Amino acid sequence: MQPEKSDRELSVIQKWMQSVISDPSGIVSGIQSDGSQQQIPLSPEQIEQVITRSEACTSIERLQVYGNAYFARLLDCLRSFFPALTKTLGEELFDSFSIEYLQKHPSSSYTLHKLANHYVEFLTSTKPVNAQSDEPVWEDFLIELATFEWNIDKVFDGLGHEKMSILSSEQLTKIAPDQWAEARLETSPSLTLLSFEFPINNFYTNYRQNEELLPPSPQKSYLALARRNYVVRRIPQTHLQYELLLRLQSGDTVGQAIGHIADLTDDWETLSAQLQGWFRQFAEEELFMKVHLPD
Amino acid sequence: MNPKPRLGHEHLGLGVGLRSVHFRHILNHFPKVDWFEIISENYIDSQGRPRYVLDQIAERYPVVMHGVSMSIGSTDPLDIDYLKKLKRLAGQIQARWISDHVCWTGVAGKNTHDLLPIPYNERTLKHVVERIQAVQEILERPLILEDPSSYVTFADSTMPEWEFVSRMADEANCGLLLDVNNVYVSSVNHDFVPEDYIRNLPHHRVVQIHLAGHTNMGTHCIDTHDGQVIDPVWKLYRLAHELTGGVSTLLEWDAKIPDFQTVHAEVLKAKRYIQPDVDSQLIESIEPEVTVSAEAVPHPLHFVSPDVE
Repeated sequence: MQPEKSDRELSVIQKWMQSVISDPSGIVSGIQSDGSQQQIPLSPEQIEQVITRSEACTSIERLQVYGNAYFARLLDCLRSFFPALTKTLGEELFDSFSIEYLQKHPSSSYTLHKLANHYVEFLTSTKPVNAQSDEPVWEDFLIELATFEWNIDKVFDGLGHEKMSILSSEQLTKIAPDQWAEARLETSPSLTLLSFEFPINNFYTNYRQNEELLPPSPQKSYLALARRNYVVRRIPQTHLQYELLLRLQSGDTVGQAIGHIADLTDDWETLSAQLQGWFRQFAEEELFMKVHLPD
Repeated sequence: MNPKPRLGHEHLGLGVGLRSVHFRHILNHFPKVDWFEIISENYIDSQGRPRYVLDQIAERYPVVMHGVSMSIGSTDPLDIDYLKKLKRLAGQIQARWISDHVCWTGVAGKNTHDLLPIPYNERTLKHVVERIQAVQEILERPLILEDPSSYVTFADSTMPEWEFVSRMADEANCGLLLDVNNVYVSSVNHDFVPEDYIRNLPHHRVVQIHLAGHTNMGTHCIDTHDGQVIDPVWKLYRLAHELTGGVSTLLEWDAKIPDFQTVHAEVLKAKRYIQPDVDSQLIESIEPEVTVSAEAVPHPLHFVSPDVE
């Protein structure tokens, strides 16, 4: 080791090195970038003033190990959050989007679980202008698929009801009829309700079953994600079921929630015949934790 | 008074790094393993299956917390929220100790999620010692720090890594996690004699040893944690065992992870290498295979993928 003595602050070296190794165009480009030059102004030929060489590798080759690792590690993480999106786009295109994302939203947390916090927002912001039509287009599908996969991750490791008591369908039937309309049903903390312009859940099932992934045509779809025994469950819903759960989750009384969906349909008779079955089904899916009855 | 070996920590035996691909096997069989080490960041925020599995394991095995985001060498402020979460989890699972690396992971508010080396000189030593002391005050326990594998050295360094690490441990009164594979990897990358490194450490401060596989790229080695421990590393392990008197030993396997039995069998090989009458042929260095691969990534991060129906 032949140290070139210097009074460089550690913070200066760290900001320089971070800028160099996180340059998507490589180490030489990183050394020449504005961010690095602001910290330590030197050319690639002068690199040994900061990074010494080894017997077998030049200083740039040594830095390249970190440069290669920076994107490789974070891309691997993003691919694991969005496996279906990665397969749909192809790894090359997914990585291309993701490198751009990482430049705009580098990790600022101790945990990689927040790495994709802005990914959906990023995809939305990169939607081409010619794709800004009223009809859902391919880019909208990709954004919805990313939304779906990101929510799976949040439900998987977020708060669940595994250690809480649940409201069974039997308990639900015991609520007195005169209290039913004013009752409020507390939903599972893991319940996540999603509405899509595309059949995202069906597409994801095809992905899971290794079937051919054909671009789907627009078709509204509704989904409840909920966790049971620490496994994320995908529970398709109709539009009215989705709206009903959404209202119950927001704290509406049963009467208010039913009133809301009644306004969305012309066929009250059919709806009223279905409601009891729906509530029993929700309870069997462990979507309700407890009931709050009026005083 | 002679200092206590391992800073007074118990010798836990031969352990395995807990990885999610083995969750099901462990919960179904509760195999006879001395202890587990977790990646702290995968559990400190978990409210799902990772935390559930950890609680089951912590009820039955000693657990040690090993982190990758403390960034003790960074010039950014310490993340107090993160440290409090570490402390809380350590209390909840009765972690035997908390470890991290002598490195920085990011600066200016960013996290590269890599374990980046620092220059080794008087100024950086003072900086790191002060931060370790601050962390130890928050955690209310000695911190255990691991020597990193590294790929660059700095013109601003004025001392070898072993001297920096030794003085750091003495001045901050912290423990050491000696990764003998990292010593080997760095010795190849930085042209030093690995035995010198290990001989010069304050051995009573070594609380734990790490073993792992790496990838030899011909001109340098990368700490890939994706295979078996090679003979030269076992030789260093034997030396470290002799000098420390024996400490808790753990195998890390983070990429191309085989079944649990294979991983466990790899760490159990350590028993052969610490026999007093070990056949010298057993630890004769076999030159590792050279791999030329653009895909080799240092210490790959381990993710917990969601279970979805």
